[in-house]
Amino acid sequence: MRTLALLSTEGEGFNPPGAEDFELPPLFTIAGFEVTKVTLLVFVSVVLIGAFFYLAARRGALVPGRLQFAGEGAYSFVRNQVGRDIIGSEDFKKFVPFLVTLFFFILVNNVFGIVPFLQFPTMSHIGYPAALAAISFFVYNTVGIRRHGFVNYFKAAMFPPGVPKPVYVILSPIELMTILFTRPLTLAMRLFANMFAGHLLLLVFILGGEYMLHSGGFAAILSPFAFGFGIVLTFFELLVQVLQAYIFTLLSSLYIAGALAEEH
Amino acid sequence: MVRVPMDQQPSSRPPAGPGDAYVIIAYLLSGMVVWGGAGWLLDHWLDTGFFTLIGLVIGAAASVYLVYVRYGRQ
Amino acid sequence: MEGTLNVVGYGLSAIGPGIGVGLIFAAYINGTARQPEARGILQPIAFLGFALAEALALFGLVLAFIL
Repeated sequence: MRTLALLSTEGEGFNPPGAEDFELPPLFTIAGFEVTKVTLLVFVSVVLIGAFFYLAARRGALVPGRLQFAGEGAYSFVRNQVGRDIIGSEDFKKFVPFLVTLFFFILVNNVFGIVPFLQFPTMSHIGYPAALAAISFFVYNTVGIRRHGFVNYFKAAMFPPGVPKPVYVILSPIELMTILFTRPLTLAMRLFANMFAGHLLLLVFILGGEYMLHSGGFAAILSPFAFGFGIVLTFFELLVQVLQAYIFTLLSSLYIAGALAEEH
Repeated sequence: MVRVPMDQQPSSRPPAGPGDAYVIIAYLLSGMVVWGGAGWLLDHWLDTGFFTLIGLVIGAAASVYLVYVRYGRQ
Repeated sequence: MEGTLNVVGYGLSAIGPGIGVGLIFAAYINGTARQPEARGILQPIAFLGFALAEALALFGLVLAFIL
């Protein structure tokens, strides 16, 4: 849709892509609720993940077939690397469903940013990372309060041992702010900013290359370099997307581990 | 009574990984925001101009010390 | 070209901490490669150095926003 608009307004100069390119028009309306491409993509991702794991686990054979092997490999990666090694072998089993869901939901939604015809990372709308960070915040605080009691949880977090007494006045507000605000805020902002910036980069190079192609002359000869760099950036985007999904899940699990084991 | 030396005791903290870098950045940022904000409030109340910067510097120093306490000791 | 000088200043000031953090972790990787048992001893030093270098970069970021 954006490219058609660009073709029809030639001679106007290049409009660099900006934040307005992230507002997609609604496709249809259900009961007064506007459904955009973003909402549809999130539902498609949920169906995909559910179908993949259901089909992988259905047979349950001792010698796994290919789909079961892939499903087991994906599940055990999150269970072992992110769950057991970080939280510890006693308590980690309760949190594995949460961590696996988090990782694959963010991964599939991120990768939608480079799949042809879809090409929109849903995590570049701030609402989705914010909701996931709020869930993480709720989980690690509830776990800590339930394990240690309300007062002891905050006391153990705000007063690290081995610090001279007067310095506690300066350090405790920092610790309190970190637990309550900065951790969920940076979780959401990191994911959102990476997806937003990546999508914007891809838009700049692809749309810029197309503008150069249509403006003719010297620029048209150089436009394959813009497209080529767009392809390179697509692979870089894949790396960033997988990495950001892993970091979000790793940090959630790290915060849960920190809330569970408050004795230093 | 046998005393186990310190480096053979089971460590209760999770192994360090790429996540720790982001936790350190979060500590530094929140330190600067808390004490820079306190300095800004003091500025707003007393109508001066320099407490914000003092607060930012104190917050940065305090959060570096906090990172040392949490991550820089054995 | 629109924009503020703040962000240009932040961009220039991020060169130093970037190089600094790279040097710190290069030394950490070097030390661990030469003697893998030293990993536990070098790790707190690496984190402390990273915090010191990154504090300057975050200084620049915060000042770019509030001034």
